[in-house]
Amino acid sequence: MVTASDTESIQVEILPQRYLMPATAQKLLNAIYENGGITRIMIHGPNLPRSVPYGPAKGTPIDENRDLIIEVGGQAFELGVKVGRVRLELESEKYLPGLRAACERALPFTFQIKQGKFFHNRPTISDYAKYGNVEDKRILGLIDPKARKDKLAILSEEKVTIEDEER
Amino acid sequence: MAYTPQFYPGSTSVGINRRKHMSGNVEKLRDIPEADVVAIMGHRAPGADYSSTHPPLKEMGEPDCPIRQAVEPTPGAAAGDRVRYSQWTDSMYFAPSIPYFRSYWGAINCKGCDPGTLSGRQIIEARERDIEKYTKTQYDSEMTDVALCSMRGCTVHGHSLRLEENGMQFDMLARTELGNDGNVLGVKDQVGIPLDKKVNLGKPMSEAEAKKRTTIFRFDGVPMSGTVGARKPDEAVEMTHHMWELRTKWGYRPE
Repeated sequence: MVTASDTESIQVEILPQRYLMPATAQKLLNAIYENGGITRIMIHGPNLPRSVPYGPAKGTPIDENRDLIIEVGGQAFELGVKVGRVRLELESEKYLPGLRAACERALPFTFQIKQGKFFHNRPTISDYAKYGNVEDKRILGLIDPKARKDKLAILSEEKVTIEDEER
Repeated sequence: MAYTPQFYPGSTSVGINRRKHMSGNVEKLRDIPEADVVAIMGHRAPGADYSSTHPPLKEMGEPDCPIRQAVEPTPGAAAGDRVRYSQWTDSMYFAPSIPYFRSYWGAINCKGCDPGTLSGRQIIEARERDIEKYTKTQYDSEMTDVALCSMRGCTVHGHSLRLEENGMQFDMLARTELGNDGNVLGVKDQVGIPLDKKVNLGKPMSEAEAKKRTTIFRFDGVPMSGTVGARKPDEAVEMTHHMWELRTKWGYRPE
């Protein structure tokens, strides 16, 4: 019988029962961050455009979707989506119970945690077309390949990079 | 004995609610001022004149036609109003109404209207002063829960998404918001143009209330075929099978 190694990285998805307000999202992300062991993390949800994208009101600013700034691990960045699910890769399975406890602390309603494969590890044609040869493989699977432009906020130890223009 | 039309089958709360919607015998829950409904529809400024496509019928001199004599025109048609629309989006999380039943309600109870049913939205077109009346009826009645249903002329996709943290249906354009006093406020019109003043739409239904008034069969509410291990199809399922069989085998003509 083969015993799975407990030092291999695992990928999990947190699926809250409802969409999170920025304050709750900040609380959740900080709780996840404090738990540690994160290799990479992605937040996913419906887009929050800064202005009406089509229809008779096209171009009208949507003030409710502006300045949704949250601070995670001491770095501030602007939310471009309504947080609906969080996918992350953990260094090993030993961080999973802590992650579950962090979600229980931060979320006022029920949630699911799924373990599985959520990030691809080889660049797709779309990845190649957009980024060429990807040097840092951790970036793969972190953004929507169908997005019309790069919508990516990278939080690293040094700085926050946001490649997202207003539309 | 006077004939009473019979509508939808089934003895579940969903079947009963569906019958209510089709028959038009819906409870009035709130009273939103007409001017506010007009503002949210966004076709004309409240108090402004109706735009028209033809002169009033009385001035036009209609041809001698027995149908025109038999059918009384609606106020909008008599005045020659433009055709306008109102479009609703109902959340799949136990909204009281769903597109098909809004359409049944419109087709059965509203004169001179054209309901259109889509997966996530439901549109009714009619002459302007008629559609304003029909929209107000929908807003004021139990067909609408102000948190789970909203008027959206475009960007309707919140119907199939999870609810927001405060129990509101997700709206990318943020047309409604939950006020601090627990009332839902309309802040933009159907298509996302900000209103001059916020419209108070009243308090949303509680989760239990929404489940009681819903017309949606759901596995975590009232399932259409009973629960796993205790299957008991609602009469609605039998009726649907019967209709399907008649339609498929004989094109509704069993002779």
